[in-house]
Amino acid sequence: MSEKENIHISSYKEHLSTWLALILLTFMTVFVSVFGAELRTLSVATAMIIATVKATAVGYYFMHLKYEPKIYKIMMATVLGLFVFFMIMITLDYITR
Amino acid sequence: MTVDTLPYTTFYKAKKGIISWLFTLDHKRVALLYLYSIITFFLVGASLGILMRLELFHPGKDIVEPHTYNQIFTLHGVIMIFLFIIPSIPAVFGNFFLPLLLGTDDVAFPRLNLFSFWLYAIGALFALGTLVFGDGPADTGWTFYAPYSVRTGTNVTMSVVAAFVLGFSSILTGLNFIVTIHRLRTPGMGFNQMPLFAWSLYATSWIQLLATPVIGITLLMIVAERVFGVGLFDPSIGGDPVLYQHMFWIYSHPAVYIMALPAMGIVSEIIPTFAQRTIFGYKAIAYSSMAIAFIGYFVWGHHMFTSGMSGPAAYIFSILTFLVAIPTSIKVFNWIATLYKGSINIDTPLLFALAFIFNFLIGGLTGLVNGALAADIHLHDTYFVVGHLHYVMFGGTGFAFFGALHYWFPKIWGKMYNKKVANTAFATLLIGFNILYFPMIILGIMGMPRRYYDYLPEFTFWNQVSTVGSWITVSSLIVLIVNLFVAARKGKKAPDNPWGGITLEWQTKSPPPLENFDKMPKIPEGGPYNYPNAKSSN
Repeated sequence: MSEKENIHISSYKEHLSTWLALILLTFMTVFVSVFGAELRTLSVATAMIIATVKATAVGYYFMHLKYEPKIYKIMMATVLGLFVFFMIMITLDYITR
Repeated sequence: MTVDTLPYTTFYKAKKGIISWLFTLDHKRVALLYLYSIITFFLVGASLGILMRLELFHPGKDIVEPHTYNQIFTLHGVIMIFLFIIPSIPAVFGNFFLPLLLGTDDVAFPRLNLFSFWLYAIGALFALGTLVFGDGPADTGWTFYAPYSVRTGTNVTMSVVAAFVLGFSSILTGLNFIVTIHRLRTPGMGFNQMPLFAWSLYATSWIQLLATPVIGITLLMIVAERVFGVGLFDPSIGGDPVLYQHMFWIYSHPAVYIMALPAMGIVSEIIPTFAQRTIFGYKAIAYSSMAIAFIGYFVWGHHMFTSGMSGPAAYIFSILTFLVAIPTSIKVFNWIATLYKGSINIDTPLLFALAFIFNFLIGGLTGLVNGALAADIHLHDTYFVVGHLHYVMFGGTGFAFFGALHYWFPKIWGKMYNKKVANTAFATLLIGFNILYFPMIILGIMGMPRRYYDYLPEFTFWNQVSTVGSWITVSSLIVLIVNLFVAARKGKKAPDNPWGGITLEWQTKSPPPLENFDKMPKIPEGGPYNYPNAKSSN
């Protein structure tokens, strides 16, 4: 096995930390939806932001995106950008109708 | 006996028996499974189209009841979009030729490739199952617009599940191609040494991968609303029908480029072969594929100008729509520049490629008319749109599909078809196609709405002209398909490179051996359009 492949092995500490962060973020989502229900749009936006952070953490640490060349990170960022554009345009339609 | 004439085992003879075909992992056999299925569904869809044209021959009832007519145009749309056009070029020619063009022996995930085909077959069964299960096929149109799709008693759920399953087939094919292109190019072949068909498949695959999940979840939301009464799109239970249209077109507009980009890739392969020179503006054509795929994500709202979307959103979508014309015209100019001063050999595949440019120009320019806000108010949901979309999908992708079939026929089957018959079929198809669809553009400008069972007497003449065009079109298609079918069985043996092709797939035998190449292919100096047999280049 080459040295380059060896560095793809993540530590248990990193896996555990990522997992704990995901659990914490899940609790945050539940907390906002239960206790922040009256905030309506803001609570939905918070849930979406938390979900995006969670997906990024999974991609970056669990799916080893952090070891990949820059081009793959750019691809992922582009995909995320597309999703943000979809949300912005649909929201723009709603608030200007 | 030279090395080139030594006997070898073709991929047809590598294994025998029906099981070896149904569970094959060879990309070429999977491609042929798709081809036979797709042609079958194309004929079913075309038959439904003929029924519609017959019904519209006179105002009032001709052959079917209004409700049946609604079901026919829905099934026609679902079959033609999801079972024919979207998978046509990527699943058939992409599967067969991508590994050949990249100089490798198969796609990255052969088992996933076979799984994609089986998902396609299962999706097709669901689509056709609506004919016999429940209250008949959906009558919503292929767009399944809410809230009607939530309320109608027809079998929308099964149609939607069909589209959902077919979507997964499309996603997996796209994923397979992206990994194949990134990982399996022959040594020395960088992205800028890839043939343009591979570039177009790469751009298409990204759309398949990123846009298709959106339609998947949207269609499941329709099922959730129908089955569980969740208020998502139906305003009577708290939903928003415009939200459905947003989500539907976020996929379905990029899907137009799933149909068009591979067709453009095929034209980019055919033209240099028959102009006997390297392609003009390689990088411009390659990058314009990516640009079309990218910009294509931002224009979905132009399908919704009259749906109650806000003014500011409509302005933005209209401006973005016009941007797509730029990379598209870059391609057209470069194709024409390739032909300029080329040693042009007019043969059947080139005729189809030239017809693609002609038809696609009409389709594209009528698209710009639809993209203009003011004009769209008049033309939205009229026959103008039906004419426009058929010029893009059939006149563009359909002609490119048949062009590719004639171009790569000798490579796939190792035989040659009757060129006179092929040219005659092409000529009558082009004439019939234009007689069939151009009257629709006129009818739309006159104000005839689409999806209507009946019409005013002043629309009769052009409807009858269009129906006569459908007879010419379908007769030509029968001649075209029978000619190829006969050639595949009894045609004369074709040489390995009958057209003097200058790309990699023509460097191997016809039909190709199981492993595609005897030895690792090398990239020639001057790029992927400079293999031996080019009479002139640059």
